[in-house]
Amino acid sequence: MVKIIKNRVRMPELSVEERTKTFNEVPLGYSEEQAIKEAKRCLQCKDSPCTKNCPVNVDVNGFINELAKGNFKEAFLKIKKDNPIPAIAGRVCPQENQCEGACTMGKAGDAINIGKLESFLGDWAMEKGIREDFAIKEKDQKVAIIGSGPSGISCAVDLRKYGYKVTIFEALHKAGGVLQYGIPEFRLPKKVVDEELSYLKEIGVDIRLNNIVGQNLSFDELRDGYDAIYIGTGAGAPFFVGIEGEELNGVYSANEFLIRTNLMKAYKFPEYDTLLFVGKKVGVIGAGNVAMDSARSALRSGAEVYILYRRTKEHSPAREEELRHALEEGIHFMELVAPTKILGENGWVKGIELVKMKLGEPDKSGRPRPEKIKGSEFIMDLDTVVEAIGTRPNRLFLRTVPELKTTSRGIIEVDEKLGNIEGVYAGGDAISGGATVIQALGEGRKAAKSIHDYLCAR
Amino acid sequence: MEHEIIRKEDLNPKDYLIEVKAPMVAKKIQPGQFVVLMTHPKGERIPMSVQKAENGNVTMFIKKLGKTSVELYTYKVGDHLENVIGPMGNPVEIKKYGNVAICSDLVCGHAENYALCKALRQVDGNHVISMQTFPSKDMMYLEEELRGVSDEYYITLEDGSYGIKGHYRDVLEKLMKKGKIDMVFAGGQTDGYVPLAELTKSYNVPTMVTLRPIMVDATGMCGSCRVFIDGEMKLACIDGPMFDAHKVNFKELLNRVKLFKKQEAIALENYNKMR
Repeated sequence: MVKIIKNRVRMPELSVEERTKTFNEVPLGYSEEQAIKEAKRCLQCKDSPCTKNCPVNVDVNGFINELAKGNFKEAFLKIKKDNPIPAIAGRVCPQENQCEGACTMGKAGDAINIGKLESFLGDWAMEKGIREDFAIKEKDQKVAIIGSGPSGISCAVDLRKYGYKVTIFEALHKAGGVLQYGIPEFRLPKKVVDEELSYLKEIGVDIRLNNIVGQNLSFDELRDGYDAIYIGTGAGAPFFVGIEGEELNGVYSANEFLIRTNLMKAYKFPEYDTLLFVGKKVGVIGAGNVAMDSARSALRSGAEVYILYRRTKEHSPAREEELRHALEEGIHFMELVAPTKILGENGWVKGIELVKMKLGEPDKSGRPRPEKIKGSEFIMDLDTVVEAIGTRPNRLFLRTVPELKTTSRGIIEVDEKLGNIEGVYAGGDAISGGATVIQALGEGRKAAKSIHDYLCAR
Repeated sequence: MEHEIIRKEDLNPKDYLIEVKAPMVAKKIQPGQFVVLMTHPKGERIPMSVQKAENGNVTMFIKKLGKTSVELYTYKVGDHLENVIGPMGNPVEIKKYGNVAICSDLVCGHAENYALCKALRQVDGNHVISMQTFPSKDMMYLEEELRGVSDEYYITLEDGSYGIKGHYRDVLEKLMKKGKIDMVFAGGQTDGYVPLAELTKSYNVPTMVTLRPIMVDATGMCGSCRVFIDGEMKLACIDGPMFDAHKVNFKELLNRVKLFKKQEAIALENYNKMR
């Protein structure tokens, strides 16, 4: 008889009081005993719904089984086979919609805390210096990868395992893409990102920073110099709502707010030089992960923060944990409001005009469509507005490759991950317009396989 | 190691030039484009104008203004910068414009003045007229070099101690009156673009100006440098940095550059205290 333990072993967290004062990571990690205890709750279902529901099909049963026995190294290597960045994925995946969402234990009580077990193993291996050991049979062919974000990382690792020479071209001065510039320290410490990326260098991936394809090197030069190209340029360009007042000082795209905070470390001013003005009362438009990241960053700068969302909390696309953390930390969540105008005084934000919304029939996303309630406009005083309503692929790269088929929103159209130019492949947010780290990882892996097949057939 | 400082010279008591090893950038940069510079790993990314790109080096003109530019001035020949990234932005189309005036009244503009004159003069049919404005004689620089790369050269000083008294706009107006200007490129003080745009519009002379709003990545990611051109939002970093002066909303731009005024002052004060 299997004994069912309904409650998961909670990972200890930084107290709310401490959180609002620092950018330190909120979850504090499992001890070895806690991890084993949590792993032992796993029922080891034969049909592995968790694995089936994972975009990279991590062998969840396998790694948890090893972990439950205290075989940390074996457990780590089982994950690493399918996911090159467990310490990162464990922290940022929306597990409740993936592995944990499918977990059988979830029907009786709490799902197994798969994400936290994954990051525990990633951290453990990092601390112990454990690496996946494999022999590379070198091939002569060269592959260029544009962008060092999640999809570029997974594509690079797999291509190296096949034996190709791999060069990643990164536009920014640090590698990692959205992991570096987008996700804040309190959710994903940059030490973890740098550590997991250092593995790429160890296996011989050449990462060239400050290389902006289309500016200091052309796409044609890459085509001449490499046998295949993978485009993992992400969706790094912000959308603005398009309302009056967006030119005012105090209005930021979430991208700007987070780039200043994460990539440039403005929160450590004056140790770091980059500046950021955060007012006393901040409104964040949107309720996804990026909105939570912006809101929680603003809160840590001492501001009173409001999430302004056109639907209701339960329809927020943010990870469960982010939403919970945001609310615990005292972020105000205003439901059923949409901005119509940003108001200014002497060139600075002074307030925002909002219109009340109601929920209508479900739209394409399956969520109820928010509808304006006529005449319900009202004004809220604010001095900072952060717009977190989504991003799209950057036209800086796209315009350098006009022959690439894209949608009107600049999303690269692919067929089986193959772009419409021979030898050119694409994946990640550049083809989805904005999804999850783990989906990008999966697409990078698929592309690596396609590139391998293509180069073998040549 | 990359980005070694090869040359550092005072241009005047406030402005200086540095020449830095940056072969990747030097190979590709064209007039109109700019670079992003980081002094050290904890530094900010700041856009800089380039005067020359030769032998794998880029020469930038910089004003001692904020913390970064003041700190950079303390760097010596042989020191290394963290990063010189680029080229950023779009190049100016090098083609026949006819009588083309290239004007500058600020450090970044003077650097671009040289780069543009040099490139445009190589096109047959261009008559390149270079104009500079400084407050006074002790602040002047680049006269000789600009005379060397232009067909006509005018210097105007606000105090009249040398050359023509006044601003380059005064010279421009006289020439436009005679119908002698087909095209204007200008770089410098943003508030000076407002009367310039009014002036050249009244003579119906096409005018391109370099905009320098606050930037971070300068690759189109953050939207900090958004400017409004004919009512449409553009990003100066990837859609510019040059725009049609007759279409720019300067009022909004002049406000946006004030975003960090307070913090900039604090940063400089902190730095000066620490030195």
